[in-house]
Amino acid sequence: MSDKSNQSVQDKLTNLSELVGWFQGASFKLETALDKFKEAEALAEEIEKDLTKLKNDIKIVKKRFDAEE
Amino acid sequence: MENVLLSVSEFVAVINQTLEYAYPTVQVEGEVAEFRIAQGKWVSFKLKDDGAIVNCFTALSQMRVPLEDGMRVVVVAAPRLNVKGYFNLNIRAVKPVGEGSIKKGFELLKAKLEKEGLFAEERKRQLPRVPKHIAVITSTESAAYADFVKIINERWGGLEVDVAHTQVQGMPAPDQIIRAIRYFNSLEVLPEVLVIIRGGGSAEDLSTFNDEPLVRAIAESRIPTLVGVGHEVDHTLADMISDVRAATPTNAAQILVPDRQEIIRSSRAQASSVGYLLTQAIDSYSRQTKENLNAAFSRMQEKLDATFEQLGVLRVAVAQLNPENVLKRGYALLRGEQRIGAILEIETVKHIITAEVQDVRQK
Repeated sequence: MSDKSNQSVQDKLTNLSELVGWFQGASFKLETALDKFKEAEALAEEIEKDLTKLKNDIKIVKKRFDAEE
Repeated sequence: MENVLLSVSEFVAVINQTLEYAYPTVQVEGEVAEFRIAQGKWVSFKLKDDGAIVNCFTALSQMRVPLEDGMRVVVVAAPRLNVKGYFNLNIRAVKPVGEGSIKKGFELLKAKLEKEGLFAEERKRQLPRVPKHIAVITSTESAAYADFVKIINERWGGLEVDVAHTQVQGMPAPDQIIRAIRYFNSLEVLPEVLVIIRGGGSAEDLSTFNDEPLVRAIAESRIPTLVGVGHEVDHTLADMISDVRAATPTNAAQILVPDRQEIIRSSRAQASSVGYLLTQAIDSYSRQTKENLNAAFSRMQEKLDATFEQLGVLRVAVAQLNPENVLKRGYALLRGEQRIGAILEIETVKHIITAEVQDVRQK
């Protein structure tokens, strides 16, 4: 779980795409499909939560550019 | 001074000291004439108006926009008397003024850079789809910067943004922006995208972004560049040479990061599509199982039908072998020994007859 919670939004988006790919691919198995579906739903929820709470960190560079140093 | 005797050199030095004190720099507007480049290093031209003409001199490396005779320019210069007795304006900066001259300068530099292949498509680098660390060069006091920040905050999160505040118009602007570009390119960990933005303005305001050293600094940036200057209709050499051109600062923010609402919608849609695929798979499996069962039943039915058909044929064959059927055709069944005096039993379809053998002959 800790591994999953440390994933970036980008990683989670990639995982979700891979899950969709698994459902459309040759390795699809009905026996494991329900678990994969639950995983996809959980990922979509996590992505939504992550994206909603993430803030940008904007810093103004202290260095001055009005004269050559 | 009238009682002081000066050598010619001293006189020139005194005049230059006086000029330097009285007019350290002057800004003069006029039309360029007799533009020359000597030894590939030195630029000279005359600046004139209807009533006067003055010599101008500078190093080619000081020229930030190509000039041509007839262009209107403002020069920032130090007036000097040179040792050969000519009065010059030693140019520190020169910029075209007026729509026609700005356009001419733009076209001349565009042609020059185009010849060097600096606008070629194959030079363009792609921006990362979702950058984590970006650098922005702009005036933090501008509305364009406020719009840019508003849009990236609305659209995305978790982004590390380093902002370099510079002037974005006026004579000092190009050098400030160049220093900021070099600063970000010298960092140990490079930002993933270098964004340069500025809002709309007059052709003269935007001419900062047609400055040759600035345009070259953008081309040389190790960090992929995204430039959004002015409005959609404005084209500057800075945005043309950048890896990705944004039509406006707002558009730069839209290009830079995806829209989180769109990603959320797309994630939800992906999860739903997985649910749909699962239902579809279950339907397909159940349909397939049903079809397999039906096929098995049909096969069994076919086997049964074939067996019954075979049985019917055999029944007919067996029926034909029944002696009763032979008797019906008029034949009789004879039982007993074939010797004279023996008693025989003769069975026909309707009767059983007892008879005695009177004669036995060979056929």
